[in-house]
Amino acid sequence: MRVSETEVLPHRNVEGDSAEHTDIDRPWIVLVWNDPINLMSYVTFVLQKVFGYSKEKATALMLDVHHKGRAVVSSGTREHAEIDVYRLHEHGLWATMQREDNG
Amino acid sequence: MFRKGPVRHIDGGYRVDVDAAHRRVLADLISQLRDEVMGNAGDDRFRRLFPVAYHEDPDHDGEYQRLMHGELLASRLDAITTALTTLGRDAQSDSIDINDAELDAMMRSFNDLRLVLGTLLDVHEDDHIEPPADDPAFAHFQLYGYLGWLLEWLVQAQQEARDDR
Repeated sequence: MRVSETEVLPHRNVEGDSAEHTDIDRPWIVLVWNDPINLMSYVTFVLQKVFGYSKEKATALMLDVHHKGRAVVSSGTREHAEIDVYRLHEHGLWATMQREDNG
Repeated sequence: MFRKGPVRHIDGGYRVDVDAAHRRVLADLISQLRDEVMGNAGDDRFRRLFPVAYHEDPDHDGEYQRLMHGELLASRLDAITTALTTLGRDAQSDSIDINDAELDAMMRSFNDLRLVLGTLLDVHEDDHIEPPADDPAFAHFQLYGYLGWLLEWLVQAQQEARDDR
């Protein structure tokens, strides 16, 4: 039993390393989730203010959030995503971040 | 198009026609929120004020919250302080003139109040029915509605100012 365990472990490590490596290239996305409290007009305003989006773009994103349950509002490095999430939280929006293809 | 509401874009800022008594009530509610949040920021009532940042990643989120929670709290309290000063201005007058930063602080503070009230009232998307007048929650639903109405006008006035620029 011991022998087979030591055989398996290095293999598992190699897999972990390569997964970590491809992760670095994937950008982070910031999502805003639909919630029953925030006003639609307020969500549009916050997207304009935080990202400098036009009224048209902010409205389209807000409607996406409203109808589809969530929308990607920005993407980029992890640091940028954290700043965006923080600014959305400051304004009371329900925002999260994740790797791009993470569901 | 002619329309009449409590907030309008004027030269150099905004005029808020909310009388002194209503402003005192709003200021009192915001200061109660400040006191409660300062003492119990981790309380479940305030979960909408301090949301999860990393979706389905508790480890990264724990790290994020350790770094950012204090800053987010300070930012909320800053907005509340500005809103309180603004609401208390011209205490005898039935309207106040405010600038962009003050409008912003009022919007954020009223929205914070709505988020906490909405959480406590367990508001859902399709709820358009208020409880009957003898329900203990009736007054809270009224307040929630009033804050939404006021916030809507603040947002519209801000949008008008943007359109004018």
